[in-house]
Amino acid sequence: MYLTCIAILLYNGVGVWGNNSPVGWGFDIINFVWWIGIGHAGTLISAVLLLLQQKWRTSINRAAEAMTLFAVVCALIYPTFHTGRPWFDWWMLPYPATLGIGPQFKSPLLWDVFAVSTYGTISVLFWYVGLIPDLAALRDHTKNKTVATLYGIFALGWRGSGKHWNHWKVGYLLLAGLSTPLVLSVHSVVSFDFAVSHLPGWHATIFPPYFVAGAVFSGFAMVVTLMVPARKFMKLEHVITIKHLENMCKVMLLTGLIVSYGYGMEHFMAWYSGSEDEFTLFFETRAKGPYAFWYWLMWFCNLGIPQTFWFKSLRTNLVWMWIAAAFINLGMWLERFVIIVISLHRDFLPANWSMYYPRPVDLMMFFGTWGVFGTAFALFLKVLPAVAISEVKELNHEMNHDAAHGHDGHSASSIEGNVAPAGGH
Amino acid sequence: MSGAATKTQYWVLGEFNDSDALLSSTTTLREEKAGELDTYTAYPVHGIEEALGVKRSKITYVAFAGGLIGATSAWALQLYFNYFNTWHGYAVNIANRPPHSPPVYVPVTFELMVLISGLSIVGSLIAYFWGFPHPHHPVFESEAFVKTASTSGWWVSVTLDAHEKVEAVRARLEALGAKNVSVIEDAEEA
Repeated sequence: MYLTCIAILLYNGVGVWGNNSPVGWGFDIINFVWWIGIGHAGTLISAVLLLLQQKWRTSINRAAEAMTLFAVVCALIYPTFHTGRPWFDWWMLPYPATLGIGPQFKSPLLWDVFAVSTYGTISVLFWYVGLIPDLAALRDHTKNKTVATLYGIFALGWRGSGKHWNHWKVGYLLLAGLSTPLVLSVHSVVSFDFAVSHLPGWHATIFPPYFVAGAVFSGFAMVVTLMVPARKFMKLEHVITIKHLENMCKVMLLTGLIVSYGYGMEHFMAWYSGSEDEFTLFFETRAKGPYAFWYWLMWFCNLGIPQTFWFKSLRTNLVWMWIAAAFINLGMWLERFVIIVISLHRDFLPANWSMYYPRPVDLMMFFGTWGVFGTAFALFLKVLPAVAISEVKELNHEMNHDAAHGHDGHSASSIEGNVAPAGGH
Repeated sequence: MSGAATKTQYWVLGEFNDSDALLSSTTTLREEKAGELDTYTAYPVHGIEEALGVKRSKITYVAFAGGLIGATSAWALQLYFNYFNTWHGYAVNIANRPPHSPPVYVPVTFELMVLISGLSIVGSLIAYFWGFPHPHHPVFESEAFVKTASTSGWWVSVTLDAHEKVEAVRARLEALGAKNVSVIEDAEEA
């Protein structure tokens, strides 16, 4: 179905989408920003928490990084096809063209090309470098010869050499150091797509930090949505413990409050600036306009729902956590809808006003990206270790070593024995 | 095997029971100058660099150089398309804004700096620092090694050029408490 709607789209052009004038950006940009935002939690967990030496990240980082990659793939589908003629997308890259003209480097949309492609590439590299030792473990312990050979090809001949670990440690840390400002820059650049314009509701200096916080907020919600069922079905409860999930709920509470502060600040600036257009947008169009229901639902999901995480009983309740994460995912999608569609559908001339409704192809493409994401994530859980084997062992070793120094490491092997099968099957 | 065109090396492998034994034995072997040393563990063990006597990885320099190249080339690229492209094309002139405009050059410069730096880190790790792909390393000849090295084993290898020293090193490893001690003969084209 997904491929069919892409085919319909390519055959007919972007006219099959619900985009119109003045709502030139619709589902395509909403979903792009939403997916990219989801991806950010993976990088945050793996890189930022590594630099901050938050040891609890270790059991969730690999799955979160995989989620990042698949989310970026889903996100990239939208701008790729929104260009209308995706077979000419290489025009966005600086190459020595016979036309004698290069890309417009002063446009945030072109910055996006560089930001998102760099982000995708660095995420793949970071994920792969972390995965090499685990691939070697799979290579040595898979019974099936063909599968072992495949793992072997990607393990490149890793043998756990102490000299290699020396380079691995420094290289991995450097990649984490690069990813951290990168992840902040990517959503800042995405927010520039809006903030650099002069439209009421878009032209705000608070956009970059508030977009980054929103990205982390929705990304953690997605990690919870995926990991709560995954840890149950893969019997990883002893590796991804309730403590990890509780920590993620705390992050969601914090970032939810930052996002709500962003909303509040936008409204304050609309009033304080004295700009009539800004004031009308925030206090009339959004709050009382035809899309008011979705606007207030956004407030409910993003400010209201996370407040339940103040209570430890709800923070550690798996069912509620999952439901709340689903609401937050919805709320962050609505935030982009509010920013894009509500800001556009009533522009400066009332004669131009028009409603935006998604068409079937919009909806099918959106569900299609869910299919792509879900399939890719399920394949990842099946084929690759969902938990970073070598990093969990290292952590285990450090803890046992500290606790029982001097004893021969019998205690370590029992817990390691539990971790190893996680990737082996 | 020992023709003029080949050079034979002997890899003496031994497995220890825990990381402390591995670290102390490796340090001892290094101080005794037993031969070229390496260790094999399932995860990075604290203190292994000191035991092996290796210096901090030079990869930081590669990362810095990559970042520098990325940033400067990005700035040059933007300047070229906005300004100098008039030589054989059209400079991009939107609303007559200044062609060289540092604030708007920052995002692309930053992204390319990160991209080139990251690519050079991983590229140099694989191709230079690790010498990969390297699927047929002598240590994989030992079945006991393959069985435990990537999961729970604590292995050390001593590489020797001279056959005379092999028995002495094997005896030394066993005296230090190593199990599964084996010798692998590796003849490679010199």
